Amino acid sequence: MSATTATAAVEADRLYKRFRAKVAVDEVSLSIAYGEVFGLLGRNGAGKTTTVELIAGLRRPDRGTVSVLGLDVRRDRARLRQVLGVQLQEATLHATLTVAELVRLYATFYRDPVPAGELIESVGLTESARTRFANLSGGQQQRLSIALALVGRPRLVILDELTTGLDPEARRQMWATIEDLRVSGVTVVLVSHAMEEVERLCDRVALLDAGRVVALDSPAGLVRRAGFAQRVTFRAALPLPAGLLEDLDEVDRVHTGNGRVTVEGHGDLLQAVSVALVRAGVVATETRSEQAGLDDAFVALTGHRLDTEEDARR
Amino acid sequence: MSEVTVYRPGPRSWAVMLVSELKMVARDTAGLIVPLGLPMLILLVNASSAGRQPVGQGRTALDAYVLPLVFTMVVAMTGIVNMPSFLAYYRRSGILRRLGVTPASPALVLVAQAAVGILQIAVGVVAAWILAVLLFDANPPVSVGPAIGVLALTTAAMYAIGLIVAALSPTPNSAVAIGLTAFFALGASGGMFGGRDSLPDVIATIGGVLPFGAGNQALSAAWLGAPVEAGPLLGMGATIVAGVVISALFFRWE
Repeated sequence: MSATTATAAVEADRLYKRFRAKVAVDEVSLSIAYGEVFGLLGRNGAGKTTTVELIAGLRRPDRGTVSVLGLDVRRDRARLRQVLGVQLQEATLHATLTVAELVRLYATFYRDPVPAGELIESVGLTESARTRFANLSGGQQQRLSIALALVGRPRLVILDELTTGLDPEARRQMWATIEDLRVSGVTVVLVSHAMEEVERLCDRVALLDAGRVVALDSPAGLVRRAGFAQRVTFRAALPLPAGLLEDLDEVDRVHTGNGRVTVEGHGDLLQAVSVALVRAGVVATETRSEQAGLDDAFVALTGHRLDTEEDARR
Repeated sequence: MSEVTVYRPGPRSWAVMLVSELKMVARDTAGLIVPLGLPMLILLVNASSAGRQPVGQGRTALDAYVLPLVFTMVVAMTGIVNMPSFLAYYRRSGILRRLGVTPASPALVLVAQAAVGILQIAVGVVAAWILAVLLFDANPPVSVGPAIGVLALTTAAMYAIGLIVAALSPTPNSAVAIGLTAFFALGASGGMFGGRDSLPDVIATIGGVLPFGAGNQALSAAWLGAPVEAGPLLGMGATIVAGVVISALFFRWE
């Protein structure tokens, strides 16, 4: 396939990769459009990093093919390297070189690099430009790593755990950087387990679980697949009359447990429930209403919570 | 979308990479002990036991046999053991992995490493030489030019062995083990533990062509002003070619 006829920025077809007994990537197919910001979401060990390593041509799949910007990632490796920017999760840089020295070194690898000062400023490292890599904080190292992924003005950027270890302000700054990339038409593949980030940035998201794509949709579409849009919970002193809430048009499901009632539904759920309770003379306390989010979708689609991996990591 | 053309990092990239490596070496003071301290140490251990009897051309046994052995050991140690373990560190820490997704070629990394390493060896050898002159009244080689040429060729051959070790080792830690084994095997067959005359014929012959024995023998000849034989030089040349070919074929970024 030549570059001019490629219809998708990334075309992965039934990628399969196993490490000894563990299947890391199991028949993953993805088609990522030019200019799209695409999220890969999943828990630790779900196969996200291996998937992007296959896309970046860093590993050879056991089966399946992948082409990036119309280039075969193994055969056209040299050409791919010109247009691909990668931030790797497990890669360090020369420990005793400074931020500015590293940016200038990596800049020499590319035809038309972003000027070092401009790039360093865009990731907020101007004041640390003379600091050695080993002496940077984790968040600063992360930002430098992202800067180096962008130094060659890539057409496709792969970012593995973009904002892990960043403070809220740096995180917002990174999100703005991604928005800039989107505006300039760069395709972005974002590996993440941060729901908020994916919901905010990505056009589409693939949910990975145990090496498989279990769902692929826009963030809003995934939320819809969770089966409900809203959830209202409250505490009631007395048992509710049978059918009181179940019969409302807005209500999909009602659970009761631990003295709390959880109502899932759609539309103006909170108002419908409140009115019904008042009419029936039920006093509800501690009423809460929440919109379903991507994390609810994740639970519904995979059967476990996304954030459990974070607990395991710490 | 326009066709992607390949841009190869140019001279500027090589220069910046080289300067970066130099800065790293200069900032890592502990790393300077081996290339600068080791030659002097090896010299002190060997030179004190060397006889001062003249062996010809006004050169003593120290000049003709001990100093060539010391210098050969130094370049062998740095080339075969030090260089692959440094590359192993690069590989283990993910630095090579990161460079592997840029248009930088493996040659860029390897050549910069080798150049800086050789510079360190040169400084180390000169320091050891000065020490030998000051403490042990060492005499310079009768054929200075050929001696320097032979030492340069030996260094290149040892780095070629180091490249083979780095390219073929399955894991970073095994690179160090394989490097040490190769160092002692080459050393033993090349006269590091006594003259090659006492070795079985076959081993002595092979050892004379492999870089340790070849370098040692050729350097010794140059020191005495004797003609340097073709065999050792060809052996070292072949080693260099093999090192370049094998490392190019088997080099991995991680």
